[in-house]
Amino acid sequence: MVEREVVVVPEAGLHARPAAMFVKEAKRYSSDITVRKDDGTEANAKSSLKLMTLGAKHGDKLTIRAEGEDEDAAVEALVAVISKEEE
Amino acid sequence: MAERARLAGIGASEGVAVGPVFVHRPGELKPERETIPEGSADAELERFREAVAVVVEQLAETADELRNAGSESEAGIFDAHAEMAEDEDLHEGVEERVRGLQSPEAAILEVGEEYAALFAAMDDEYMAARADDVRDVAHQIAAQLMGRDATGLASLGTPSVVLATSLAPSDTARIPKGMALAFVTAEGSKTSHVSIMARSMGIPAVVGVGAILEGSFDAKSVAVDGGEGFAVVDPDPETVAGFEAKMEVMAEERAALEKYRDIEARTSDGRRIEVAANLGSAKDAEDAISMGAEGVGLFRTEFLFMERDQLPTEDEQYENYAAVTRAFGERPVVIRTLDVGGDKDLPGVDQPVEENPFLGWRGIRMCLDVPELFKPQLRALLRAGAHGNLKIMFPMVADVSEIRAAKKILDECRDELQSEGAEFGTVSVGVMVETPAAAILAEALAPEVDFFSIGTNDLVQYTLAADRGNEKLRHLQSADHPAVLKLIGMTCEAARGAGIWVGVCGEAAGEPVLIPKLIELGVTELSMSAPSIPRAKKVVSEV
Repeated sequence: MVEREVVVVPEAGLHARPAAMFVKEAKRYSSDITVRKDDGTEANAKSSLKLMTLGAKHGDKLTIRAEGEDEDAAVEALVAVISKEEE
Repeated sequence: MAERARLAGIGASEGVAVGPVFVHRPGELKPERETIPEGSADAELERFREAVAVVVEQLAETADELRNAGSESEAGIFDAHAEMAEDEDLHEGVEERVRGLQSPEAAILEVGEEYAALFAAMDDEYMAARADDVRDVAHQIAAQLMGRDATGLASLGTPSVVLATSLAPSDTARIPKGMALAFVTAEGSKTSHVSIMARSMGIPAVVGVGAILEGSFDAKSVAVDGGEGFAVVDPDPETVAGFEAKMEVMAEERAALEKYRDIEARTSDGRRIEVAANLGSAKDAEDAISMGAEGVGLFRTEFLFMERDQLPTEDEQYENYAAVTRAFGERPVVIRTLDVGGDKDLPGVDQPVEENPFLGWRGIRMCLDVPELFKPQLRALLRAGAHGNLKIMFPMVADVSEIRAAKKILDECRDELQSEGAEFGTVSVGVMVETPAAAILAEALAPEVDFFSIGTNDLVQYTLAADRGNEKLRHLQSADHPAVLKLIGMTCEAARGAGIWVGVCGEAAGEPVLIPKLIELGVTELSMSAPSIPRAKKVVSEV
């Protein structure tokens, strides 16, 4: 299992577009991936509906956790997505 | 509902229509079965997956149609819906329930409702609005499972006026072509989905008429005036005749305008007024020319910089500017340098978060501070100038020093191109007059430039201190206000003194009541959205 903390960089938070990009990336990996907010709420990283209901805002701290064959690569890629400004 | 009731609302899409009523009542979708027999869960889940696939395909088709019609933002709504329909957690929720022997149609409606409630409770207006999207998607899947149309809209066989509390994008998209004569909705504003769709479909719409559908509503016909923003329920023959007459007048008007399309616009006493188009991208040039555009009075360059990873290169910009310049041959093409502020992200530029982006670091203010943004654009413009009659316009000027600084950088770019042996053209330079300061200082600015172009939308917003998007301030959103007209007059007078020309490139340029006033003040070029050009030429010829 791999786990990393990350701060939400996109200005809009995990809104529609950033959430969609995040999910698209997550779906490229076979590992089970979850995203946890520091208030304890958690979501499946491959569901944009769930992810949006987290209501993660710009500046919030999230923990990304992956478990599976490609867990390292998955966490690394998702941290990168969430650490850059929306294009 | 009293006979011949008059429903007053917001005119969201122009045009008039009279026709039979179709009342759309969503939310009445009830699952046919609550439960399923033991042992049938696998088969029911298979049916569920098939239903989702059909819905996703329909959504993708609608998105493609809209995209091909150039409605990118509406297409995006359907992309998002397709993604929701395929959402993993949504499916897991349904699967769990179906394994517990709930029917898939009941399950999807229930899961959709759960997500809708989660979104609705979020402390964020944008996210709360997503509740309707999830609900809409869940309804479509349930309807597909039950083998019927979620709303009846898809089987609408008589051209009708569609009445509803609100209409989702999937609702309007499902209506067979030609079957919706007009929309009347209880809720909504000019910027809600239904209004945007109505305008892109070219049918009249009145929104925000209030709770009309509570209780029974058994009207037979409705007359709708989408320009004036009202509808008449069960109109009497006299009212119908009035609407039909207006329809005829509008059709005649369109036909009559045809002959003005390709004329060179002149007032009745022979003054030449150039009627030009506002363009947002080079690919719109042909359409504008076919509508009778005598040039481009405002070419916005923002689109080149938006929604991408990195800034466009000088060469890419050059290709675009050269394409639009070439398309218009000898005709003038006024290209505005980048006007972006904190309301839009620019790749590679560190933009601070601003409380008030419209009064912030934008337009020429930003460009002067970020030469790596400004210089490639100016070099591209100079190079494109070799292919036609290109003019550069600087936005958001509030001080003479800004235009001097911009011209100095433009000179540097010209020197660079010269020493590199690159081909470039002579371009004239103008100021976009959109801050009250620029109008007040017009006398000092005029000797610095070759033309002024008045951006009335922002000039109105800044002069009257009235947000352009605020529905409550509609009475303060027109250039037909003495304060704004006075500033336009000052600008024209200063231009006359310096021997330069003045154009107008905001909404006001295409408004029939304002055109005579603008010409009277000394404006000689009017630039507007292309469909308004024939009417504007007619108005000019009657001045």
